[in-house]
Amino acid sequence: MAKIGVYIYTGDGIAEAVDVEGLIKVATKSGAAVAKSHADLYSPEGVAMVKQDIEAEGLTAISLVGMSPRYEYKTFDFPGVYLDKTGIRELVAWSHRIDPSDEKADSKKEHVQELAEDYIRMAVTKLQKVQMPTPDKLEAPNTRILVIGGGVTGMTAALEAAEAGYEVTIVERTGELGGYGMQVRKQIPVGPDYSSLVNPVAPSLIEKIKSNSKITVKTETEIARIYGAPGKYRVSLKAAGTKSEWDAPVPLTPEEKLDANGKELSAEDQKKVYAAKNEGRNDYMVEDANGELFGAVILAAGWKPAIPADGEYPHLAWGNPNVLTNHQFEQLAKSGKLKRPSDGKEIKTVAFVQSPGGLNDDADFPYASAVTTMVSLKQAKYVREDYPEDGKAYVLYQHMRTPGQYEYFYKGLQDDAGIFLSKGAVTAVKDNGAGGLTVTVEKTLLGDNIALDVDVVVLATGMLPATKDEAVVNLAYRQGPAFRDLDLFGGYCDSNFICFPYETRRTGIYAAGPVRRTMTIEESMEDAAGAALKAIQAVKAAEEGHAVHPRTWDFDYPDFYFQRCTQCKRCTEECPFGALDDDEKGTPKPNPTRCRRCGTCMGACPERIIGFKDYNIDVVGSMIKSIEVPDDDEDKLRMVIFACENDAYPALDMAAAKGLGWSPLPRIIPVRCLGSVNVAWIKDAMSSGLDGVLLLGCKFGDDYQCHFVKGSELADRRMANVAETIKSLGMEPERVKLAQIAIDEYDKVPGVIDAFVEEIVGMGPNPFKGF
Amino acid sequence: MGEQQQMQPDLSFVKGVMASGGETVKKCYQCATCSVVCPLSTNDSPFPRKEMLWTQWGLAGRVSGDVDVWLCHQCGDCTKHCPRDARPGDVLAAIRINAIRYYANPKALADVFNSPGGVVGAVIAAAVLVLIVAAVWSQITGNAFPFPLNHEGKVEYHEFLSVIPIDAMVLPIVAWIIYVSYNGVSRFWNDISKGAGLPESFTGTYPKPSIGLLLSKYLGPAVMEILSHSRFKKCGQTAERARGHLLLLWSFIILFAVTNYVFIAEDLFHAALGLISKVTPLPLYHPVKLAANVGGIMLIAGILMVKSMRTQKTEEGVLTSAAPDWVLIWLIFAVGATGIGAEVLRLINIAPIAYPVYILHLATIIVLFLSLPYGKFGHLIYRTTAYVFQRWADDVKAGKAGFGLEKAVGAAH
Ligand code: HEM
Ligand code: SF4
Ligand code: SF4
Ligand code: SF4
Ligand code: SF4
Repeated sequence: MAKIGVYIYTGDGIAEAVDVEGLIKVATKSGAAVAKSHADLYSPEGVAMVKQDIEAEGLTAISLVGMSPRYEYKTFDFPGVYLDKTGIRELVAWSHRIDPSDEKADSKKEHVQELAEDYIRMAVTKLQKVQMPTPDKLEAPNTRILVIGGGVTGMTAALEAAEAGYEVTIVERTGELGGYGMQVRKQIPVGPDYSSLVNPVAPSLIEKIKSNSKITVKTETEIARIYGAPGKYRVSLKAAGTKSEWDAPVPLTPEEKLDANGKELSAEDQKKVYAAKNEGRNDYMVEDANGELFGAVILAAGWKPAIPADGEYPHLAWGNPNVLTNHQFEQLAKSGKLKRPSDGKEIKTVAFVQSPGGLNDDADFPYASAVTTMVSLKQAKYVREDYPEDGKAYVLYQHMRTPGQYEYFYKGLQDDAGIFLSKGAVTAVKDNGAGGLTVTVEKTLLGDNIALDVDVVVLATGMLPATKDEAVVNLAYRQGPAFRDLDLFGGYCDSNFICFPYETRRTGIYAAGPVRRTMTIEESMEDAAGAALKAIQAVKAAEEGHAVHPRTWDFDYPDFYFQRCTQCKRCTEECPFGALDDDEKGTPKPNPTRCRRCGTCMGACPERIIGFKDYNIDVVGSMIKSIEVPDDDEDKLRMVIFACENDAYPALDMAAAKGLGWSPLPRIIPVRCLGSVNVAWIKDAMSSGLDGVLLLGCKFGDDYQCHFVKGSELADRRMANVAETIKSLGMEPERVKLAQIAIDEYDKVPGVIDAFVEEIVGMGPNPFKGF
Repeated sequence: MGEQQQMQPDLSFVKGVMASGGETVKKCYQCATCSVVCPLSTNDSPFPRKEMLWTQWGLAGRVSGDVDVWLCHQCGDCTKHCPRDARPGDVLAAIRINAIRYYANPKALADVFNSPGGVVGAVIAAAVLVLIVAAVWSQITGNAFPFPLNHEGKVEYHEFLSVIPIDAMVLPIVAWIIYVSYNGVSRFWNDISKGAGLPESFTGTYPKPSIGLLLSKYLGPAVMEILSHSRFKKCGQTAERARGHLLLLWSFIILFAVTNYVFIAEDLFHAALGLISKVTPLPLYHPVKLAANVGGIMLIAGILMVKSMRTQKTEEGVLTSAAPDWVLIWLIFAVGATGIGAEVLRLINIAPIAYPVYILHLATIIVLFLSLPYGKFGHLIYRTTAYVFQRWADDVKAGKAGFGLEKAVGAAH
């Protein structure tokens, strides 16, 4: 049985807002062994007070009631004592200020006091239920880092990781290191002053790699499968372009699971189809004893040049030998002085076309970007380098994209007398009968439609990410060998752009360079350094037994009570990070180092058998039940708000800090992610007489902001099912709602809460109140 | 699809402008701040943004057809405000130097008259020419050479070179200047007529006002505007420059008048017709002589003001100065300084210095005027033409010029 201490901070307006003595009484009554207040709780005196109590009273869990839990006070970390925080400063004092001259000040005060008391009850209840998390450390985790791709990104990542003391292996599909960085004549600058082209950096990187004893290079090699988890990946390599029994098996697509009539195949039949699909490949759960061990993976597989299909862009004369892609032009430039493909004549005038849509569409080529814009500028300079006297390069654009420091690059090239820039719609490219081409451009800056005679036309075609057409990483995971949201990102390796760019949805695998978005060489190198650090962190986390970003402090991991598992596989399917595989019997098999402790599996499990030591169905359920529900007072309806602690909860904190307030009726419970909200909690809330439940979570959809990718979206789907259940009980399904809040929408969130409360008040009390 | 124009960007034109003071032209990104701040730009034809673009694209034809280039006074307001440091004011100055060269014939002389070395060479050549003519003349007159003294034992330039050999030497040069200038101006007129979209007449040429109309309606008002410098004074950043220029201009007018008085009195009435007796050298109290001295001092003062303003404004960064700018300033200064010097030295009668200075005075005058269709001095004729043309084109476009041209206006655009 936990011995609980509750410490109430009385500064920052808390003492004025509530009756602190009353709260202490509630704490004691709820079961706290010690309950005290302190005007300067977070000062050394406060810490000393708590410490003394721990030693004198043998407290095993303490609750700091005052500042928001988002403020960290490491000084309260006492070994073996569970620490919890409740932010009544923000959730009560600041967000429920009462004007003393208000007529209803007294009744309002009563509401606020009840609110604070409920927070005390919830805090004590939580401590009664939690257990101290224990780290799950890997025994002798492997710390080697695997880099997929030996281009500039991969080489930089390898060098960075090696410099930090880690062993690295680079796997490169071609016979040489260097990637596209070795196929260019010159490159866009990688540092100040940015104004002119520079020589490729790849050769010097290759030299460094060769002389670095910590780096092993395997060329003409590919990944057959990556088995395992961070800290203990077992990687099967194979000769590039070959098949292997260790190739990662591919799960059935939803269509493949159906029969000819569109009905779902039986489990047996699905197995057969799966076996046929993956013939010659070992099951994903089979470990290759000859595979190499790695701790983390950096994916730097880069990009491929896009080549328009035959017959595409007829108005741009694609197919004419003198109409080239930027990649083809680069090859030409790399091979020597520019010569026209059709007749070997010197190339003295070139039109660089950025946007193929003519007058109808100003979009650039698919997969084009600022990088391809700058490549056009770079290649324009080639013309000038080769023919300084009379070489002319026309850059025809709808968008001149030269972000950040690259503005200097644009300026530098613009200074060249022979580089002509104009916005405009290229409407036609035609053979001019003299061996060259005539380019028609409309709506130009020059105010009219112009025709330019050129030797060749160069199309600024795009850069296709390597993950567009193949998995590359070939994970032997139950969720399949590839990343999950490739459709959403147009084939770019997934990444949580807003919050953690290098993170993929596979813990321990970090993407860098143009595989995740188009980048210049400079950006790729910066990216590579970031991904290398991430990989090192993942290895370290496996070693120490804590989660990786964003819950790096978290030593806990989900616990499964498998005896009651029905093998429904919801957890396995819904885990955003593919942390769960199947074991031989078909029960979920956790891989703790892949897990990011989001709790999505816990929210998914219908059997409620997944939980964390300090965050589980019982802990939160009991907190809900500890809320006091007056069953005869229509003015005192009660709601619970599950607020995502990543975005919605900070928004509430900010709203409170800015002096905004909301109704005192709902009680707020922070959750790791809306994905972790189990339907059981909704039922608990409704059955204990609460009148409504609001879920505040991140934006979902294509531009999702969820830290755990799908949490709020999954919650939304689950709530749709809950609505059915509630309806069947004769209640309004609108009593349970989900709202999306971005972290910066602090000004909106009070309105969202108040609107919800008003709606519930309109519906009246929960009919089950008092039962 | 609208009308389509074949483009042949002329790279050498871009390079030429960049090499003669407009090296910033490529920096322009077409924001048009310059056209907005320019105090002289008009709503109908704003400048200098379009000139920047045309120059970037090497569209020599469009630039040469653009009268606005010559309406710009390099006051530098645009340069001051350009967010991109493209220095449009300086670019236009460079375009003008290139334009003068473009209309010059032979073009090689433009290079001579725009470079310090060329001008020094030209002055030496002119001095040699003067010496040769004087030597020949001394054979005819029997006067001493090279330092003849008059019967009073005084320096008298007339003894050295009288008006007859001077005329024999200068009149062909003047004829040449007029010929080349006229040629340049009429080609310029055609180009700007075309550029302004004026209709061609049925003979394939562009309309010009008749002499009577030209003088009364167009040249007259234009000259009045020039004499008052009302436009120059509108300049924002460098309005002060107008003062020195005004002084200089008036000094030239005075000196021109004086020279003509002497030419008519001495050459025509005395030497040629024998109607009056010899008038030169004029006594110091003679009103013409007084005017000449005042003019000379105004010239020196004016050119020094011009020079110090240009130095100051260059340092402030609102304008840059290229070789042709300094060449013209120093040449004018040399004309003034040698003029005053010759007079003073004559009065104190130091023949060995007085004659060389006089020779230099004649040489610098010859070179200055010879540079009219070739050097920056050419702005005198092209700017005046531009002022005239602007009034004329407005009338043509408004249908007020007669000639039955009203209907055709606008058809070309
Ligand atoms: C005998 C006649 C003229 C002489 C000796 C003369 C001399 C000069 C000189 C020395 C400059 C350089 C000023 C500086 O550096 O600030 C100059 C500039 C200028 N002159 Fe004249 N000028 C004459 C006639 C004219 C006429 C008829 C115009 C007609 C509008 C004109 C307009 C200008 C303008 C606008 C500038 C300033 C722009 C520039 O420096 O190019 N000038 N002139
Ligand atoms: S907590 Fe999240 S990451 Fe971990 S297994 Fe569950 S769903 Fe997957
Ligand atoms: S969701 Fe629960 S019941 Fe279903 S497979 Fe996972 S652990 Fe088992
Ligand atoms: S202000 Fe400068 S950049 Fe803008 S249009 Fe004028 S010259 Fe170009
Ligand atoms: S220099 Fe002066 S007159 Fe010329 S364009 Fe600029 S602002 Fe206008």
